[in-house]
Amino acid sequence: MSGATTAAYLARRAAQKERVRILYRRALKDTLNWAVHRHLFYQDASDLREKFEANKHVEDLDTIDKMIVAGEATYNKWRHPDPYIVPWAPGGSKFTRNPVPPSGIEIVYDYGREEND
Amino acid sequence: MALRAAVLRHIRLPVQTLTATGSRPQPQWSFLRLFSSHDDHLTKEEVIDRVLDVVKSFPKVDPSKVTPDVHFQKDLGLDSLDNVEIVMALEEEFKLEIPDKEADKIDSCNLAIEYIYNHPMAG
Repeated sequence: MSGATTAAYLARRAAQKERVRILYRRALKDTLNWAVHRHLFYQDASDLREKFEANKHVEDLDTIDKMIVAGEATYNKWRHPDPYIVPWAPGGSKFTRNPVPPSGIEIVYDYGREEND
Repeated sequence: MALRAAVLRHIRLPVQTLTATGSRPQPQWSFLRLFSSHDDHLTKEEVIDRVLDVVKSFPKVDPSKVTPDVHFQKDLGLDSLDNVEIVMALEEEFKLEIPDKEADKIDSCNLAIEYIYNHPMAG
């Protein structure tokens, strides 16, 4: 079943590849959060890449699913409590700091001028 | 006096050639917008230059093959994980935060340049 390259097999593999890519992205960002100094980050990023590369040639769908779930569990366990998020993004320090004022509201600058002037 | 007028009639200063080169899109009015805070969007050339610099400094990439049209996996022979690394490097370069789904779709220099150019907060 999993040996033949049917459409369902390819669809599952594609979904798994996308999960792996998103997991690698989040793990890499997390590694950068933990290892702030760049030389440490490069070392940790290489180790992370080695771990992903070691399982590159697995073909069985169920094994891949189990490995992805295990990887996501490890990622959840090691998530940084205070990650660096770009300020204007959701979760950052500048997010919704200056929201756009609601439309229709206008300040009338009449400086106290009265009607009988 | 007549000599001066005759000389002046024959002298033509090449003022027009400066604006005729077309290097700036609005030659008369560009200096009026220089100090406005709404003018800080990146120009397309700047985006292209910075994106190509980031891609060229990736260790697994051959710098001579990098053009603005290059596809990371097909033309440069990179892996999908390398793709993820390049997108992260672009995020760091332009101080962007790209959502995971969008970042997954960025596959080539073209898409990257378009996405960054159209992003309002690209720095």
